[in-house]
Amino acid sequence: MSSAIQSTKEQDALLRAGIDRSLRHPVMFFLTSGAAWLAVSIVLGLVASAKVHSPEFLTGCSWLTYGRVFPAHINALVYGWGFQAAFAVIIWMMARLSRKECTAAGLILTAGHVWNLAVAMGLIGILSGSSTGMPWMEFPAFVWPVLLVSYFAIVIWSFIQFRVQPEGHVYISQWYLLGAMVWFPWIYITANTLLFCIPGQPLMGAGINAWYKSALIFLFFTPVALGAAYYLAPKVTGRAVYSYSLAKLGFWSLAIIAPWAGMQKLVGAPIPYFMPYLGAAATVMIFIPAIAASINILRTTLSSSEILAASPSLRFTIAGIIGLLLLGFAAVVLNLPGSTLPLTQFSMSGYGFDILAIYGFFSFVMFGAVYFIVPRVTRREWLSKRLIKIHFLLSVYGIMTVALVALFGGLEQGIGQEDWQQPWEAAATRAYPYAVATTIAWCFILVSNVFFFIHLALMWMCLGRRSVHPTLLVSDHGHATNPHGEDGDVDNAGPGHVVAH
Amino acid sequence: MSLRTFIFGLAASFGVAWLFIIVVPFIKMRNLEPIQLNEATDGTTGIFYPKRTGRITNGALVYAENGCYLCHSQLIRPTYAGNDLYRSDWGGLKADPDRGDTRRETNVYDFSGEKFAQIGVSRMGPDLSNVGLRVSANYATGGDPAKWFYNHLYNPRQDPKLWKSTCPPFRFMFSERLITGNPSNDAIAIVDDGKKEIVPDSDAQALVSYLLSLKKDQAVPAVLNFAPPKNKG
Repeated sequence: MSSAIQSTKEQDALLRAGIDRSLRHPVMFFLTSGAAWLAVSIVLGLVASAKVHSPEFLTGCSWLTYGRVFPAHINALVYGWGFQAAFAVIIWMMARLSRKECTAAGLILTAGHVWNLAVAMGLIGILSGSSTGMPWMEFPAFVWPVLLVSYFAIVIWSFIQFRVQPEGHVYISQWYLLGAMVWFPWIYITANTLLFCIPGQPLMGAGINAWYKSALIFLFFTPVALGAAYYLAPKVTGRAVYSYSLAKLGFWSLAIIAPWAGMQKLVGAPIPYFMPYLGAAATVMIFIPAIAASINILRTTLSSSEILAASPSLRFTIAGIIGLLLLGFAAVVLNLPGSTLPLTQFSMSGYGFDILAIYGFFSFVMFGAVYFIVPRVTRREWLSKRLIKIHFLLSVYGIMTVALVALFGGLEQGIGQEDWQQPWEAAATRAYPYAVATTIAWCFILVSNVFFFIHLALMWMCLGRRSVHPTLLVSDHGHATNPHGEDGDVDNAGPGHVVAH
Repeated sequence: MSLRTFIFGLAASFGVAWLFIIVVPFIKMRNLEPIQLNEATDGTTGIFYPKRTGRITNGALVYAENGCYLCHSQLIRPTYAGNDLYRSDWGGLKADPDRGDTRRETNVYDFSGEKFAQIGVSRMGPDLSNVGLRVSANYATGGDPAKWFYNHLYNPRQDPKLWKSTCPPFRFMFSERLITGNPSNDAIAIVDDGKKEIVPDSDAQALVSYLLSLKKDQAVPAVLNFAPPKNKG
């Protein structure tokens, strides 16, 4: 009996190793090129942020004017880093959860190269002055069909794996990842065809653009990050998810509420009156799925405080989930029509909110996933816990500054804008210190991600540690029980050492 | 839950919102019904035509390509949504010499001729809905407003009133050239002992023409005029 269990466990371990091997190149390609774009984006963000308070900084060249650097920064962050991190997580987790090896690694890798090329062309387009002028859709119009086709070529295999998986349990992570996979193309095709292909009313165009931005955050980045967190938290702690019904509530409330959000950006604009107010109401209600999912994940992990202290994956994931809680809180505080919405509608809090969503929540969970996935697909361990710690601490400090700027600086600036008896310059003066704070925060985030990128690149070059002991953030070597659970044992001592115990 | 029900759930929850706030409003707003002017209230009959002159298409393109929308909005919100209307020169002019208080909120015709309404991302700078009129009335008093704009784009902090501006300079839209014959009317500076002049390139010309077209100086039909009745006399 026990030997039968033993052999199934060995088969499982072999299957997992097979899946990891089949996805090694696509996953590492997406993660490293994503991390490189992240570094590019942060440099651009730093330049743009410095220009907000020092307008004569780097003005010699048209390519570096604020109005081009800033969109380049956001688009590199979203399409260069965000999407590629999401692709790596989707293809790896869907393969693991559906228990199917990937048979299309070559095609995925090719599509990944096309994606990167399109992002590069788009960024050159923006910087050389061919931006479309629509926030988050600034890439010249020829880019979006290329991105769409490569998107399908990348994720379709995960969908097929899910379809052909043996009948059985569908994991919470799979709901979220499938949701993101289905919603994104729908959102993307809608926004791009209505803005670039079918001429419409210019104000409705602005509305669709605002909706697109919000939908991308709440219906693509949020579900991908939650899918990853619902995978990592139970896996690393070795506990079952705290509540299945809470997970259901979190998922379906997100699915029902999030598609209505976004148009609060147009409050007061001459479009049908109900649209911006529905948008504001939906954005405020985002706190329901945010709280449901974060409580569920926190309850799953917080009782395992030793593992939380030791595991880099878990630490980043939990930081991301706290970012989600803050995001849900900010969604309420910044979007109350009649009190705060008039203040935040045109203030820097919008940018802060986006950064909180993309970096403070999504990217942190992605970093957690990276620290979990990379040792498995490269069969090497992370080189240095110090590098991981630096990455974590500087990122947390940086993002906390940006979040504070979002909540307080935006409101402060908005109060100045609404005070019509004061000259307009008063509002700009109020915003000034917060702009300086943002620049400093970007410096921290830049340093932290340079370390991250170097570490990741070394891992990709197979320069990771050959060891059976994962790199932990506490300093007991060897004898500690593996916090990554059974599956966390990586067969890094060479083939044939897969010991399931 | 089977896959089919699950996908149906995903599609239904998203599709309802998609229909109600994207597809249906998009189709309805594509063909706005023209506004019939009324003899009694507007003093004339026929159809209301929003008037706008200038290189709007080219200028809007330059505006978009150089990210002006990141710091400047083009939206005067009604008073329930913000205090934009109270500022003396944002939604019109508080004391227009000919027509009195012309301030009004943005209406759907203000973006005619544009593909995308640049309502803006944030207000690091002031709202531009009425910048053409504002500059003519308050900044370039007595002078050529286009010239004021050229100077402002070349160095946003040149006007002593605006020394605190954080607007980036757009010097790359200007070029220095040898003067042959008379200097250009658009030249913003003569340098090099009168041998060379700094003139706006075509991008700057289109942009300034567009900015000058942003003005609220046309009387709107009574059905679009939400201003409270004014005491006459």
